[in-house]
This record gives sequence, C-alpha cells and structure tokens, in this order.
Amino acid sequence: MAPSPETLAFLREVRLFAAFADADLLAVAELLRTRTLRRRQVLFREGDRGDEMFIVRRGTMLVSKEITGKVEQVLVRVEAGDFFGEMSLLDGSPRSASVQADTDATLLVLGRESLQVLTDHAPHAAAVFFYSMVQVFIERLRRSTLQVAEATRWGLEATGLDVDSR
Amino acid sequence: MTERPAPARLELLVRREDDEGFELREVASVVGFINSRPQRVPAESFELAEVRSRVGEWRYILKNTATDRFLLLTEREKFLWERMDGHTALQELATAYVLQYGEFDFEIIPNLIRKLQRAELLTLRPASRLRRILARNRGRRIAKAVETTLFGLERVMIASRDVQPFFQRLYRWGGFLLFTRAAAVACVALAVAGAFAVVGLWRELDAVMAGFGGSPVRAIVTVKLLFFASVAAHQLVHGLACVHYRRRVREFGFTFLHGFVPTFFVDVTDIFMTSRRARVVTAVSGALVHLVLGAVWFLAAARAPAGFVQAFAAASGIIQWQALVVSLYPFCFIEMDGYHVLVDALGVPTLKHDAMTYTRRLLTGRARIRRGREAALWLGYVVLSALSIAAFVVFNIWVILKATS
Repeated sequence: MAPSPETLAFLREVRLFAAFADADLLAVAELLRTRTLRRRQVLFREGDRGDEMFIVRRGTMLVSKEITGKVEQVLVRVEAGDFFGEMSLLDGSPRSASVQADTDATLLVLGRESLQVLTDHAPHAAAVFFYSMVQVFIERLRRSTLQVAEATRWGLEATGLDVDSR
Repeated sequence: MTERPAPARLELLVRREDDEGFELREVASVVGFINSRPQRVPAESFELAEVRSRVGEWRYILKNTATDRFLLLTEREKFLWERMDGHTALQELATAYVLQYGEFDFEIIPNLIRKLQRAELLTLRPASRLRRILARNRGRRIAKAVETTLFGLERVMIASRDVQPFFQRLYRWGGFLLFTRAAAVACVALAVAGAFAVVGLWRELDAVMAGFGGSPVRAIVTVKLLFFASVAAHQLVHGLACVHYRRRVREFGFTFLHGFVPTFFVDVTDIFMTSRRARVVTAVSGALVHLVLGAVWFLAAARAPAGFVQAFAAASGIIQWQALVVSLYPFCFIEMDGYHVLVDALGVPTLKHDAMTYTRRLLTGRARIRRGREAALWLGYVVLSALSIAAFVVFNIWVILKATS
C-alpha cells in the first residue's frame, strides 16, 4: 500500500531521513509498518529478543533499565520524530532496556529484512541513514555520560558521602 | 561565589504486581538522605572513652579499632552516634535531637556522618529484618506471598503535601473554636456526663449487650468501621492544633502502617520548633476527639430504649474511650500521643528504643542489670507495656465474650 502524504511529510521531519531524496524516502516509507500502543502498554522488556527499530510517530515512549525487582530507572523519554530499538536491529542482541508507552502512541516499525532491502536497493539512501544514525549515537553517548555523572551525584548526596576530604 | 547545584533527582519506574502498568516516581537525593538509616560498625570494631576538657565539658573519643583512627565527639554528637543503629532514619534522629536539646542545628547530622564515614565507622545494611528474611526465602510460596502483600499494601498511600491551605481554611471556618476555654469546659462537662452515663449503663450491662440480638459479631465489626472514621477526625484535630500554633502541617493522608494497619496520618513535626506546651496540646487534642465522641455515644446509649440501638451506641462509646486510653496511655510499645508527651516530659526521646535494646541485651545475657534512673525507666517502660498489652487483650476478649453470650 502506498504511504500517505502525511506519513511522507512526517518522515521528512525525522532526522534519520532528513537528507533522503524523495524517491528514497518513498522507498523507505513502503518498508515501514505502523503499530499503536495504549498508555502504559509495554512494547518490549529488557532481555527480550528483537530485530526491529521504532520511530515514534505520535506520543511519548519511556525507556527504562532495571535496577532491582520491579524498580527501573527511566533513562530517556522518546518523543515524536525520534527513534529507539536500533541496537537489537543492528547486532541481534537482546533488548538492552525496556520500553513502554507514557501516552497513547503510534510507532513506525522498521525490521531487519526491510533494512536489508533498503541497503540492497538504495545504497546511497542507506549510507545517509547510517550516517544520521551515528550522529544520533554520539549525542546519546554524551547524554549517557551526563546521566552517569548525575546518578553518581545522587548517590553521593543521598549517602552524605564526603569525598572532598578523602 | 559558586552556586550550589539543585539536589540530584532520579526518575524511577515502578512496575505493578500484575505486571500490567507502572507508576513513575521522582526521587530527590534529599529524600534518600533523610530516609537513610546510618549504622555504626559492630561493637567490637570501636571504643568510646569519656574525657573532661579543661573548661569542664565532657568530650568523647571514638576509636575505630580496625583502622586505629580517632574522632573527638561532643556530647551531642555522641547522642546521635548512639542512635545510628541501622533502624533509625535521619529524620527520626533529627526529631530525637530536637526533643533532647530543644533546638536543631541543621549541619550537625551531615557533618557527623561525613566525619564517621571518613573514619570508616559507618556500614550500610538493609534495615528491616523481616524484609531480609522474606527476601532470603523468596523460593517459598508463603514468604513470596507475604512479601508481595506487604509490598503492595505499603504502596497504598493516599496523601497530599499541599494541605496547609486546607487546614488553615478549616481553622478559620470554626476549627479555632476547639482551642478556646469554652471548648475545654465543654469537653470536661461532656466527659463527666459521659462517665455518669457509663455508671448507669454498667448496672444494666447484660441487658444492654443483649441488645445485639443474634448478630453481635457483625455489629462489633460495624462499630469498628465507624470508629475508623473518627481516626480521621483525630488526625484532623492534630493538624488544627498545629495551625493554631502557627506551624505548618506538612502532610495528611491514608496508608497501611507497617504494611498491614490501615490508618490516617498527619505530619505535624513542624510543631517541634515551638514550645513544649504547644507540643503537648497538639498531641493531646487529637485524642480528645475520642473522649468527646465516646461521651456522646454513652449519653445516646443511656437515653435510647433497650435494644440494638442502645447496644450499638454503648459499644461505640466503649471503643472510643478505649481509643482515648490507647492514644494517651504511653506504656503499650506503640509511639502514640501519650508516649510523645511522656518522652517530652522525661527528656528521653528514644525511651522505647533504648528500653527495648536494654531489655533484649539483658535477656540474652549481653548486659548486666544496671542501677540508676535511666535503667529503672527502661525496665519500667517494658514491664508496664507488657502488662498493659496483656490487660488490653483480655479486656477485648471479655467484651466480645460478653456480647456473644
């Protein structure tokens, strides 16, 4: 089924596809599936197997990492136009974090086979796609570093640990 | 001058038991800090010696026997150190400090903790023994079920921290009348009238209780539920007293105490910053709700014709006055209003804790019988509390037997 003009307009706003030519964008749009989630619905759990990545079309998704028992730390909120789940798509490893809907949400799903089709038939578009992805990875790495520092500060403040004079 | 950063915050996602859905909680590091329960190293790992300074003040030298590091503690720091048992949260330590010294130094606890950590005199260990046992036995179905139930009930808490405007309005719209001389006189008059009514009802006790007819247990359960509503009123009056003394009510709500006792609660710890009189009035005023309600129920019972209504009113009166006694009677192992008044008057804010520790050590042969006021207080507290609990249980069994026979 041909993608709607709204879907194409939305994809144009997504960083991963910003540099795509119209034809390539159309090709990608045809490879995407749509999935909807209710508020609080879990998409996948840490440790699950998976070979898809997701682009948030509408709503907000919460990415969380297990700390202990039923308590998890919220790592990030993924808003419309952003993506997640690419790690399992690329290396086939189990999901490294859990993802659930913070609001009612609509996702666009890109599977490994679809990505292979893109790489085979539109190598230039695929190169642009991966380049954009690397840029996002670098941003996320920077943010993770800040998060580690903030979590460490939380621990020091919560225990009253005085490291200045140690 | 560098600006101090805002406290760090963690956003946590807590899954529900049914695995469907979750809730989000933001926890500031400050909350973690005031709820932390510092624990000193085992007794064999430190030594404490008293020294008298040239100006006649007592100081204490604390030695870490494992590292040979020494710390000099003031009398106040020693007071805090002795309570760092892994069970007392920093918030409770601060309350004990205020009760003991009548003032609070906001830096003393964090400074002491830093000092102790540097000297490696604090350890970290989970506080709840029950939780540790349950966690160790998760493989057993019963332990798992108990842990899950406790965990679920503990999370049931309906509370608001923005309650000061509500209590201020309630005070303006008539709550202030409770703290007038007229209200005190009315309270005494009702208590006397209620007592007379009790005397009259006592003479016909069997006939009164017979009014429950064929469903005494159901009636008693209903009475208990009705009583539960008066617990909310009890807490509201505590809050009003706090407002009366121009202090802040920090929180009001409903929760399951220790995971299984349903109760309303109000946080009036701000009252510690005022006079002893204010603290006593705040503590006692809530309990007086039960005195008034009990008297009203007894008067109603005395006037009602023999039958179910009379029995119901009399039972409600009994339970209200019983609640009054439990609230104000300090010797029952529960830190209720009367207990707080007692420790305030004695100047021993951690009476129960110290008494239990001393008795436990005595019973297990790890301590010798001591002489002096302190040890007498501890033993007196434990003995009186044990006897009181036994009497309370016997009385309730008697009431139920009387009602059912």
